[in-house]
Amino acid sequence: MTWLTWRQFRASALAGLAGLTLLAAYLVHLGLAVRRDHDAYLSRCHSGGDCGRALAQFLGEYQNTLLYLAGLLALVPAALGMFWGAPLVARELEAGTHRLVWNQSVTRTRWFTVKLLVVGLAAMAVAGLASALLTWAASPVDRLAGDRFSTIVFGARNLAPVAYAAFAFSLGTVIGLLVRRTLPAMALTAVAFAIVQFVLPNVVRPHLMPPVTVSRPMTAAAINEARGLGSITGAPVVKGLSVPDAWVSDVSELLTADGRPLATDRFDRCFQDPPATGATGTFGDAAVCLGGLDLHVVLSYQPNHRYWMFQFLESGIYLTLSGLLAGFGRWQVRRRVT
Amino acid sequence: MTEENSPPVLHAEGLTKRYGKRVALDHCDLRIPRGRVIGLVGPNGAGKSTLLQLACGLITPTAGTLRVLGARPAADAAHLARVGYVAQDTPVYAGLTVGDHLRMGARLNPSWDPALAARRVDQVGLHRSQRAGRLSGGQRAQLALTIAAAKRPELLILDEPAAALDPLARDGFLHHLMEFVGELGASALLSSHLLGDVARICDHLVVLAAGRVQLAGDVTDLLAQHGWLAVPRGARDRLPAGVEPVRREPAGPDDRCLVRIAPGAGPLPGPVRPVRLEELVLAYLSRAAGAPAGPVTPLGVRR
Repeated sequence: MTWLTWRQFRASALAGLAGLTLLAAYLVHLGLAVRRDHDAYLSRCHSGGDCGRALAQFLGEYQNTLLYLAGLLALVPAALGMFWGAPLVARELEAGTHRLVWNQSVTRTRWFTVKLLVVGLAAMAVAGLASALLTWAASPVDRLAGDRFSTIVFGARNLAPVAYAAFAFSLGTVIGLLVRRTLPAMALTAVAFAIVQFVLPNVVRPHLMPPVTVSRPMTAAAINEARGLGSITGAPVVKGLSVPDAWVSDVSELLTADGRPLATDRFDRCFQDPPATGATGTFGDAAVCLGGLDLHVVLSYQPNHRYWMFQFLESGIYLTLSGLLAGFGRWQVRRRVT
Repeated sequence: MTEENSPPVLHAEGLTKRYGKRVALDHCDLRIPRGRVIGLVGPNGAGKSTLLQLACGLITPTAGTLRVLGARPAADAAHLARVGYVAQDTPVYAGLTVGDHLRMGARLNPSWDPALAARRVDQVGLHRSQRAGRLSGGQRAQLALTIAAAKRPELLILDEPAAALDPLARDGFLHHLMEFVGELGASALLSSHLLGDVARICDHLVVLAAGRVQLAGDVTDLLAQHGWLAVPRGARDRLPAGVEPVRREPAGPDDRCLVRIAPGAGPLPGPVRPVRLEELVLAYLSRAAGAPAGPVTPLGVRR
């Protein structure tokens, strides 16, 4: 059965290998360049130069590229689910070849299990290799930027991509088994996987462990550290606050001293028409005006030392889901599909 | 094991298969002994394919039981090895070569006979390097049959095996099939709506119409139990006990009536002429189609 699985999978395996080779070559090239520039930054810093500026320059050089690569790596499991998972059973059902192979001396469940394991492990290996290379290439930047816990980067390093690939692949296989046609199965797999990949990191991940909360007074100086003020709906919020060595998962609205949200009209008055004080800083007079209102926010965050715990927890969730899908597929093949 | 105490090739009791509201098989009872070439005939939609797919375990019955070679169809890998099946559209992997298919057969079947497979592939003019997707319908059927036969099954199930073939290819195919069955010492169960093919190669017959078994038995027994009887017009009711009319049609001044004669039936009102297998099958199919004594109803047309 392993031979037949390999023989059927050969062409798509070679295509996948070609893609992986290209990506790997680029990542190795990038990793070497990152290390060269990292050394240059260190020597500039140690030879009495401006460390802060050298660091900013070094990070600025690569952070965008690495963000794009994280996006690309997020597509790898989706592509594996679509091109390796969805056709795995659907193509057999579509072509009627299941009626040939199910009448060899191999039970359907064994047929399904071997196919799922061989191609599924290959998918995990591809994602694992891509993830390992990107993790290696980006490690000097990640160490200095301290943002590997952030929503996008988290899913593009270490273990998580392997678990995503396992999930996407078994999802594609089971959808193909139910839909029984390759192209619709591929499209459905892409949509379903995208939904899960949006919901899990944004809705579930912040609550994998109870977050640490801290109340931070919003003085004029604290507000000027933020990246943005106010929202499109006009809510009194401060955006882009950070906690050192932590992933900030939630920031409350601006709260008054008694813990109630700041009234919108009071926020608007400060935001749109603050008394002129000639203050400088990102938000100028608005920051001074708001700073005078004795406000605070409640920050929820996951400290960085929980990073590996989160990698294991999230990978565990995805692998469990993959296992459930595989079990369901096995049951379907034995009981329902004809 | 002798034929008498070994379990029958196929044993169905109250076998029923429904697809939603449509009834494909309706309480079929069948018991077919080993060592036969069984022809399953009936009009389109009679339930032939359903019965064959049930027999090889591709589908499961809605009600009733079916045992093939003494076990539930496709019960485990060992049972799968004992039954070969070629589906109606003779599916093969389009991207794999003929040689790949033989390797697949060898790897997936412990009882695979490489010599038989090699000989047959050469015999029908297939090349190992040919892609299965490029084969003609007839060549594909030959490849599918080779794979099913080279695992040396005890029962070979073929669903309309010759349907896609031209007359010459069909002739060759049936010839090889008979050789095969002889060589394997196996039973074969094949469906067809080509009565000539069935008459030529089968020694056991099952007539299926409207989801029910109309007639089943060894061909020699069936031919011996039936005959044409000349009956004066309007005299049908006066047939002796044990003589059952199956079909009646005008012939000169009299009617001729195809009758089933039970053993120990009373004296017959005239000489009995033998019946040909095709006539017999048509008579039962017409009766099932709701024309017990009327003119010939073409095969495949049902009221």
